Amino acid sequence: MTRSPHRRLGPALLLVAGIALALAACSTQSYPNSSFTSNSDLNIDINALWDRVLIMGTAVFIFVEGLLIYVIVRYRAKPNAPMPKQIHGSHTLEIVWTLIPVLILIPIAIPTVKTIFKTQAPAVADALQVEVYGHQWWWEFRYPAYGVVTANELYLPAGKTVNFTLQTRDVLHSFWTPGLAGKRDLISNKVNHLWYTPDKTLTEGAFNGFCTEYCGSSHANMRFRVFTVSPENFEKWAAHMKTPAAGSPAALAAQAAADSAAKKAPKAAAMVPTPAPAPAMDAGYVFPVEKMGAHTIPRTPYPAGLTFDDNLLGQGDAARGRALLTNPANMGKAACLTCHVITGEQAYVNDDVARGPNLTHVASRHTFAGGLFPLDAAHLAHWIKNAEKMKPGTPMTVFGIGQYSPLMKANVTVGLTDAEIADVVAYLLTLK
Amino acid sequence: MATAALEHDANAGHGEHQHYTSTGLEHRKIAIWALIGSECMLFASLISTYLIYKGRSRVGPWPHDWGCKTSNVIGKTAEAVQAAGCAAADVMKPILDIPVTSQSTFVLLMSSLAMVLALEGVENAGKPGYDKWYKGSKFWLAMTAIMGATFLGYQSYEFTSFVHEGLTIRTNLFGSSFFTLTGFHGTHVAVGVLWLMTMLFIDMKRGLKGATDVLLVDICALYWHFVDVVWIAIFTLIYLIQ
Amino acid sequence: MATTAAPAPAYAGSHAAGGEQTGLWSWLATVDHKRIGTLYLWTALFFFCVGGIEAFIMRLQLMQPNGQVVSAEVFNQLFTMHGTTMIFLVVMPLSAAFFNFLIPLQIGARDVAFPRLNAFSYWVYLFGGLFMTLPILFNSAPNGGWFGYAPLTTMQFSGGLNIDFWVLGLQILGVSSLAAAFNFITTIINMRAPGMSLMRMPIFTWMSFVVQFLLVLAFPAITIALFFLQFDRFFGTQFYEIAAGADPLLWQHLFWVFGHPEVYILILPAFGLASEILPTFSKKPLFGYNVMVYSGIMIGFLGFGVWAHHMFAVGMGATADTIFSMATMLIGIPTGVKIFNWVATMWGGNLKFTVPMKFAVALVALFTIGGISGVMHSSPPTDLQQTDTYFIVAHFHYVLFGGSIMGIMGGIYFYYPKMVGRYMSETLGNWHFWLFFIGMNMTFFPMHFSGMLGMPRRIYTYDAGQGWDTFNLWSSIGVFIQGLGLVIFVYNFLKSRKSGAVAPNDAWGAGTLEWSIPSPPPEYNFAQLPVVTSRYPLWDLKHPEMTADLTHSAPDQMVITDSHAVPVHEETERKTAHELGIPMPFPTIKPLFAALFMVLMVGALVLVHAISMQVAVAVMITCAALFIGTIYGWLTSPLE
Repeated sequence: MTRSPHRRLGPALLLVAGIALALAACSTQSYPNSSFTSNSDLNIDINALWDRVLIMGTAVFIFVEGLLIYVIVRYRAKPNAPMPKQIHGSHTLEIVWTLIPVLILIPIAIPTVKTIFKTQAPAVADALQVEVYGHQWWWEFRYPAYGVVTANELYLPAGKTVNFTLQTRDVLHSFWTPGLAGKRDLISNKVNHLWYTPDKTLTEGAFNGFCTEYCGSSHANMRFRVFTVSPENFEKWAAHMKTPAAGSPAALAAQAAADSAAKKAPKAAAMVPTPAPAPAMDAGYVFPVEKMGAHTIPRTPYPAGLTFDDNLLGQGDAARGRALLTNPANMGKAACLTCHVITGEQAYVNDDVARGPNLTHVASRHTFAGGLFPLDAAHLAHWIKNAEKMKPGTPMTVFGIGQYSPLMKANVTVGLTDAEIADVVAYLLTLK
Repeated sequence: MATAALEHDANAGHGEHQHYTSTGLEHRKIAIWALIGSECMLFASLISTYLIYKGRSRVGPWPHDWGCKTSNVIGKTAEAVQAAGCAAADVMKPILDIPVTSQSTFVLLMSSLAMVLALEGVENAGKPGYDKWYKGSKFWLAMTAIMGATFLGYQSYEFTSFVHEGLTIRTNLFGSSFFTLTGFHGTHVAVGVLWLMTMLFIDMKRGLKGATDVLLVDICALYWHFVDVVWIAIFTLIYLIQ
Repeated sequence: MATTAAPAPAYAGSHAAGGEQTGLWSWLATVDHKRIGTLYLWTALFFFCVGGIEAFIMRLQLMQPNGQVVSAEVFNQLFTMHGTTMIFLVVMPLSAAFFNFLIPLQIGARDVAFPRLNAFSYWVYLFGGLFMTLPILFNSAPNGGWFGYAPLTTMQFSGGLNIDFWVLGLQILGVSSLAAAFNFITTIINMRAPGMSLMRMPIFTWMSFVVQFLLVLAFPAITIALFFLQFDRFFGTQFYEIAAGADPLLWQHLFWVFGHPEVYILILPAFGLASEILPTFSKKPLFGYNVMVYSGIMIGFLGFGVWAHHMFAVGMGATADTIFSMATMLIGIPTGVKIFNWVATMWGGNLKFTVPMKFAVALVALFTIGGISGVMHSSPPTDLQQTDTYFIVAHFHYVLFGGSIMGIMGGIYFYYPKMVGRYMSETLGNWHFWLFFIGMNMTFFPMHFSGMLGMPRRIYTYDAGQGWDTFNLWSSIGVFIQGLGLVIFVYNFLKSRKSGAVAPNDAWGAGTLEWSIPSPPPEYNFAQLPVVTSRYPLWDLKHPEMTADLTHSAPDQMVITDSHAVPVHEETERKTAHELGIPMPFPTIKPLFAALFMVLMVGALVLVHAISMQVAVAVMITCAALFIGTIYGWLTSPLE
C-alpha cells in the first residue's frame, strides 16, 4: 500500500504551480474594482491595517503549513519502524502555543481599535453632505446643500470630505465603492453614516459601486458609478443639475426672463455673471465619457427575444415625446410621471416617495437602470418597451404594446407603440 | 464518577427495569434539565425582543402611558394627554393592569407550592399520615392544575380586555411582542395543566407511588416550577418596570 | 492490513447477521442507533449531491461575465438552497450520522437514551428536508439567502410561497436538531460505560457533547426569530414591519446569536473526527487531550459572544464594533491551540497516509487558511472591504468545506469498515481525495482575490471587464473537478458495500471502544458492557505500553479481560440479543408517523397562502389530531 512520497507530492506541487500560473496570468489584467487602493483617507487606513493583518496571516500560514509539510515528510511511516514514543502532552509547549496566538493578535488588535474609533468619529463639519437612498434596485443620491436629486451616478469633488447619510426606501442594501471605501449597510428605520475624502489628485476618477446586501431579484443589477472631479467642475455640475428640465414650462420661463434681462441691460449682463440658474440648454459639466474607462461602461447584453427597430429611433420626435409624458390625456398609456419626477413639469408624485429615478437631467447620465446599461437611444427604447426583460423583477412598467407584463400577468394592451417609444426616447435625450 | 460506576455491576444492563446509568439518575431527569436550559434561551429571546421594542411603537395603545387615537401624544395621566390636545373620546388608557395581573401572579406562585406538596404526596404515598385527603397527591395535583387553569383564565380575561381597549397582536410593536411573549408563556402553562391532569388521571386510575412514579411527577414539577419562574421574570420586566 | 484479513464472515457487509431483521420495514421501524446513523448518512449524502448540483449550476452561470445559463429568479433560489442545504441538510445531519453511529459505541452503551425519539429526529429531518427542497422543482424554492434578512423576507417584499417553505422548513429541522440534542446530552451524561469518566471520553464524543449544548442553547434564538417572521407572514404581526417602526437588526441579532454557534456546531464534530483519525495513523495518543477538550469548550462558550461580527457593516457604533472584534480575536486562541496540538500529535509518530488520514491532515491544512482569513475580518475596518464579497465566500468554504466536509469525509472512510464490515477502496479514495483537495483549492482560493478585487457575493451575473473573469473561470473549473471527485466517492461508497476488502474488528489499529466489537456491530453493540480504565481501552489491551503513562483506575478494582473489551467475533458465536438475554427496544413505526404528521401539520401553514386559511386550518387540525394520537400510542407502548 505504500507508495513513493514523490508520487503523493506531485498533485500538491501541481496545485501550487496552478495557483502561481493563475496569478501570473491574472497579473497582466487590470483590476479596476480593487479595494487595495490609496484613493481615499479611509482606504489608506483600511489598507494600513490590512497590510499588518496580511503580514501576520502570511507568517502564520507559512509557519503552520511549513510545519505540517515537515511533519508529513519527516514522520512518514517507514517499514519496520519501532512504535513511536508515546507522548500525551506537554504543559510547557501548550502554554507556549496558547501565547503565540495572543502575541500575534495584540499587534492586530491595537491598531484595529484605533482605526475603528478614527474612522467612525463624526465627519468634519464642512464636509459635503450626500444623502444616499437605496431602492430595489437603483441608487438615489441627493445633495441637500445644492438641491440636487440624481440617480446611479455620484459626483464627488476630489480632496473634499464627503459625509454620506445612508437610508433605504425598502429592503436592506449596502453601499460599496471598493476603490474608495469600505461598505456600510442601508438599514430600514435607521440612519447610517460613512465619510471619507477622495484623494485630491483624483480629478477625473471613475469608480464602480455595488450593492452588497442581498436585496432580491436584481441584487446583482444594483450598481452605481462614482465620478471624482475637480471642485470647480463639481460646482458646475451641481449648478446645472438643480435647473429645471429642458423644455419644461419652468425652464422656458427662466429662459424668457434671462433673455428679457439680457435685452434690457446687455452691458450689465456682460459684465456681471448672472447668479440666476444657468440656461437650461447648457449642460454644465458632465464627466467625459472618454475618461470613464472600460470598467464603468456597461456591457450588459440585450435579453433574448426583445427587439427594437433602430430605424424608428431616427424618426423620434422630442415634442411628441414630451406630450406623451406630460399631457394628462396620455396618462393611461404613458404614466411615467406617476413614478418619476421631471423638475419643471407637472408633478404627479412627491419626489420623496417616487418609485423611479428623477429624470430631470437623465440625458446627462452615462448609465441607467442601476448602472446596468449605457444610456443611449437604443437601450432606452428597449428598456421602455419591456423593462422586466431587461432587468429581472424591476418595478418599471412594461410599456410596449403586445409585450408580456409579469406584474399584470398578461400582455400589455394599453401602452406605447414602437414609434411612440422612439418619440419618448427622443424627448428623454433632450433632458441634458 | 468512577465510584458511582463501581457500585454497579458491569452487567447491570441485563436487569429487568433499572438500566445502568453513569450518574445514577434516570435519563428523563437529565433530559428535562436540558429542555429547561433550552427553554431559558427561548424566553430570553422573547423577553429581549419585548424590551428592544419597548417604546418603538409608532401608534398606541401603550403599556404604561396614556395615549391618543388621533395623535402620538403620550402622557402619564388622562389629563396630561387631554391637555396636549387630545379629545376626551380619543384618549387611550394604559394597557397593563398591574393589580389584576398581580392576582394571577400570586395564584401561579401558589400553584408551585401546591406542586411541591403534590410531589411530597407521591414520594410518601402509602406512608402513615399521607392517607388523609389533604396530604395526598391527588388533592395537590388537582389544586396545582386548578390554579394553573385559573392563571389561564386571568390571562384570557386580560387578553380579551386588551383587545377591547384596542390592542391586538397586529396593532403595534408592543401588541405583537406582548401577545407573542405572554402567549408563549400561556401555551407553556396550558401544556403544564394538561400534563398535570394526565398525572392526576393516572393517580386516580391506579395511584401514583414508587420510584418510577416519583420520577414522573418530579419532571412534571421541574417543568411547572420553571414555567412559574419565567412568569416572575416576565411580570417583573414587563409589568412592574415602567 | 485490509488484504491480510480473514475470509469474510457471513455477516460482513450486511446487517443481516444474527437473526437481525432486514428489508424495508426493518428500516422504517428501526430504533437502532446504528441504523438511524446509517439513514442519516445516506440521506445527508443524497442532499450533498443535491447541494453539489446547485453549486455546479451556479458556477456554470458565473463561469463567464453576463452568463445566460439560468435566470436571476432561479439563481437566487439556487444560492439560497445551496447554503441552506449544505448547512442544515448536509453537514449537520452528517455530523448527526456520526453522533448516532458512534457515540453509543464510543462510550460503551447499547443504544442512545431515547431510541424512539432518535428515530423521530431522523424522520423529521428527512421530511423537513424534502419539504424545503422539493419546491425547487416548481420554481418556488426559498430565495431569500440562507440568513433571510428581514424585511426582504416579509410578505411585502417576498409575496410568493418561497419564503414560507424556508421559514417552516427551518422550524421543522429545528425540532429534529433539538430532539436529537436532548437525546445525546442524556446519552453522554448517563450512559457511559463503567469507568469512563468525562475526561476519559473519546475526543469525538467530547466535541459532540459540546455541540449538543450549542444546539440546545442556540436553536431557540432562531426558533423565535422564525416564529416572528412566521407570525408576520401568516397572522399580520409587525415584528419586521418597517412602517410600524420595526428594527430589521432584531432579526440579524437573533439570527446570528444562533448563526455563530451554528458555525461551531458545523465544525466541532469534524474536529472530533480528525482527533480520532490523526492519533490512530500516527500510532500516538492525542497530544494534550485535556487542552483539546478545554479548547473545544472554550470555542463553544466564546461562540456565543461574537455573533455581531457578522454585522460590522450595519453601523453598530465604535464601541460595539470593538467589543465584538476583540471577542472574535479571542476565539483564534483556542482554535490555534487545537491546530498546534494536532501537529504535535503527528510529531514523532509513524504516519500512515491512508485516505482518512489524508482527509484529516487536509482539514488541519485547510482550516488553518479559513482561520487566518477569519482573523482578517475580525478587524472591523478591514471587514468593511471584505464582508458580503467573495472573500467571505472563500473564508467560510475553507472553514466548512476545508474543515467540516474534509473532516467528515475522513470520518466516512475511517468508520466505513465499522459500519459496513468492509473497507472502501483506497485507490478510488485517493482519487476522490486529490480531486476534492485540488478542486476545492482551485474553486475557493481565487475567491479571496475576486472578493478583494470588488466582486460582491450573491450576484447572479456580473459585467465584463471588471477584472474578475479569470478568477471566476478558475473557480468554475475547480467545482467541476470537485464534482468528479464526488462522483468517484459515491461510486466507491456504493460499490464497496459488496466488494470492499473485509475489515476486522479493529480495522485501523485504533484505541477506542468502538473498535473492540465486530464490524458491523451486532444490534446490542457490546455483549458485555466494557469496563474502562483509561482513554484508550483498546490500546490498554493490545499495546499496554501505549497507555502506560496515562492515569488508570486502580487495577485491582477494574480488570480488563478479553471478554470485556474484545468480544468474540467468529461467525458461529455471533449471538442475537435474545440469545444473550439483552433487552433491546422494539422496532416501531410510530416515530415515523409522528414525524410525518408533525411535518404535515407545520407545513400545512403554507396552504394559508396557497389556498385559504380555512383549508389550512382544517388540514392542520387533522394532522395535529393524528400527531397527538400517534404520540399517545408511542408513549403508552413499552420500549422493550
